[in-house]
Amino acid sequence: MSLLGFSQTTVSFKQANALYNSGNYKEAIGQYDAILASNQHSAELYFNLANCYYKLNEIGPSIFYYEKALLLAPNDPDVLNNLSYAQKMTIDSIQEVPESGVSKLLNKTLNSLSVDGWAVRCIGLVFLFVALFLGYYLSHSEAKKRLFFISSSMVLVVLFTSLGLLFRKDRIDKSTNPAIIFAKETEVKTEPNLRAETSFTLHEGTKVLVIEDYNQDWLKIKLLNGETGWMASADLKTL
Amino acid sequence: MKKKILLLTFILSGFLSAQVSFDAKVSKKQLGINERLRVDFTMNTDGDNFEPPSFENFTVVGGPSQSINNSWINGTRSFSKSYSYFLAPKKRGGFTIGQASIEIEGETYKTLPIKITVTAAIDKPKDPNDPDYIASEKIHLVAEISNTNPFLNEAITVVYKLYVAQNTGVRNWREIDNPRYSDFWSQNIDVKSVNVQEGTYKGEDYRYVVLRKTVLYPQKTGKLSIEPLSLDVTVEVPSQRRDVFGRSFMSTVNRTVSSRNRTIIVKPLPENGKPEDFSGAVGSFDFEVTTNKQSLKATEALEFKVSVSGKGNLKLFRLPRLVLPSALEVYEPKHSEKVNTKATGMQGSINDTYTVVPNYQGSYPIPVVSFSYFDLKTKQYKTINSERLIIEVDEGPKNTVSPNSTPSGLVAENVISPNSNQFSSFKTTTDFQLITTEPFFNSNLFWILLLAPFLFIPFIMLLVKRRMIRALDVTGNKIRKTNRLARKYLSEARKSLGKKEQFYNALERALHNYLKSKLHLETSEFNKDKIEELLLGKNVGSDTLIGFISLLTACELARYTPLSTVDMQNDYKKAGRVINALDKQLN
Repeated sequence: MSLLGFSQTTVSFKQANALYNSGNYKEAIGQYDAILASNQHSAELYFNLANCYYKLNEIGPSIFYYEKALLLAPNDPDVLNNLSYAQKMTIDSIQEVPESGVSKLLNKTLNSLSVDGWAVRCIGLVFLFVALFLGYYLSHSEAKKRLFFISSSMVLVVLFTSLGLLFRKDRIDKSTNPAIIFAKETEVKTEPNLRAETSFTLHEGTKVLVIEDYNQDWLKIKLLNGETGWMASADLKTL
Repeated sequence: MKKKILLLTFILSGFLSAQVSFDAKVSKKQLGINERLRVDFTMNTDGDNFEPPSFENFTVVGGPSQSINNSWINGTRSFSKSYSYFLAPKKRGGFTIGQASIEIEGETYKTLPIKITVTAAIDKPKDPNDPDYIASEKIHLVAEISNTNPFLNEAITVVYKLYVAQNTGVRNWREIDNPRYSDFWSQNIDVKSVNVQEGTYKGEDYRYVVLRKTVLYPQKTGKLSIEPLSLDVTVEVPSQRRDVFGRSFMSTVNRTVSSRNRTIIVKPLPENGKPEDFSGAVGSFDFEVTTNKQSLKATEALEFKVSVSGKGNLKLFRLPRLVLPSALEVYEPKHSEKVNTKATGMQGSINDTYTVVPNYQGSYPIPVVSFSYFDLKTKQYKTINSERLIIEVDEGPKNTVSPNSTPSGLVAENVISPNSNQFSSFKTTTDFQLITTEPFFNSNLFWILLLAPFLFIPFIMLLVKRRMIRALDVTGNKIRKTNRLARKYLSEARKSLGKKEQFYNALERALHNYLKSKLHLETSEFNKDKIEELLLGKNVGSDTLIGFISLLTACELARYTPLSTVDMQNDYKKAGRVINALDKQLN
């Protein structure tokens, strides 16, 4: 049944691609959306959808779907390349806080895999460790024992590091929900109400992190440069 | 005859063309009860039977006095004759000086009645012939304001006029106090030449000159006062003394005249419907954003022009800022103004020119800019949106290998570099997955897969340990080993236990096989004597040897003698024992 469903979506994916290729971006978007509505997705689908929006010069949805694609395929060079194109359209330029070498490396490692990717890696490492340890335990010759011992203890270290990264990644993902601003222009307030002072203005396509919400109408957001403020939840869309 | 008629016609027409006029003129139409009034009835052709009006409500204090003025200028005769009366009012109120009549050439002419207002007594100067007094009565400086109730930032014009009475003259003037228009944006409009014009001031005939015009844009709401302008004027006034022709000598007086302090009330712009981006523009405007290039190569420059043109307070508001994608390099805009200020206000256009240099290829949509102003005609706010512009940058600097790196003399054409950062097109194939997949992390399967392998370690260790314990138990081990041996060789025999022929065949084969594997024997060398000899050579005990031989003998015998199942059982057990014993001794 599901196999049949998948083949149907593959057909409509192909149709949507044909529409894209002939320049009917709006129709292509409708087709891609229909696939999403049937509860199926893939990095390529999000990528093509984002390309359509890029061609129509709609900055917000374009960046939104590139980021969606990156969630499924964090290191896809095509997605990263086109995302950089889309980001050139945005009006806000937010300088990311310069990170120290260590935390930069840490973040890079963390973001190289998704949470589930880290989970799978940890399990693989567990199996590897057990195999190597048994190899150490069961082998008779001194040289083999030494080799197995060293490699198994190295794998153990890597395993514990990966577990630490896994839990850290999970915690970060849960506490910071990235979102893309869809409104052409929105004001970020110091307090969650309209009377409050405006601390800065953001434009379509800018990526923010949602930290907390208030009454569902107001979201506390954090910019990549560390600034925080409240904005109306209707103006953005969480990934 | 014909000539005579022609001449007569000329003469008649000459008379007719000199139109007869008969007018009444008063020195003032409004006077205090303690003042006097002079009335002149003037005609340009002599007549008879002059009848003055009745002058009720007035007392004739002087006159009638007649005067005749006859002059020839360039062959043209001008004639005037007047009757003058000096009247004093009897009481306050509005009165009419009735019609006077005269007969000129047989026709009766009448003057128009004149309305006179008599007010309460006014302070009479001590000396009505004092030149200063005359100057103050005859020279007036007036500030005329086009609109005393304007909106904030709506242009109003102030015109300063100097009124001079008919029989006085002004030799020159000097501004001694210029108004400072605080709370206004002001601009003077130069009055190039002084034109004397005819006009009336408080109902009396005057000559006036426009001294200056100023355009004001109120910058504050509420009551604002326009400060007076003061002039030092040199005035010539007629004196009592007259020359031989009866004309008055003019005496010169310096006098300071000021316009009155005027107050205007400035209305605030309505709050209702005020757009958010309203920056104070009032008038009627056009707004547009234009660019000189729609597509270009990276690192080329293009210009955006934000311009507002029309009528209104052009210099008094800021143009909306162009917001551009951050990937474009934008320089500070150049501001230029082409504004003419006329009496009606400012007119022209103001522009901001942005120079933009895109550094990377891509398409850059320029956000729509909106401009709002208050339209004075409709008294409503209006918003104009610029057209949406999209800038296409075709060639990026990263895209091609820099020409410098190509070998000398060769011109690189159509270089296709491997790491081209072109916009990637759509992907053709994909593998779909369900959107709402449960996260693998923290699921039961995850924890089982993570921890189960560790349980595997002690399990394996336990297994290995048990094997080691067994390995240490030597005798038991040996027993197990030989049992295993016996089982191995005697398994066939055991299967055919009870079937005599098959059993003993199998038993014999088993014994032979055992020896063959143990002593490396070939089948051809197989007989009892040889076995005996071999086993003795291996120091096998005699008991075991006898047992082995007897078993072989039993196998041979069994082919010819009847044997019970019990015997077979015994032989089987015996074979096991013998093999075990042999095994121990052969080691």
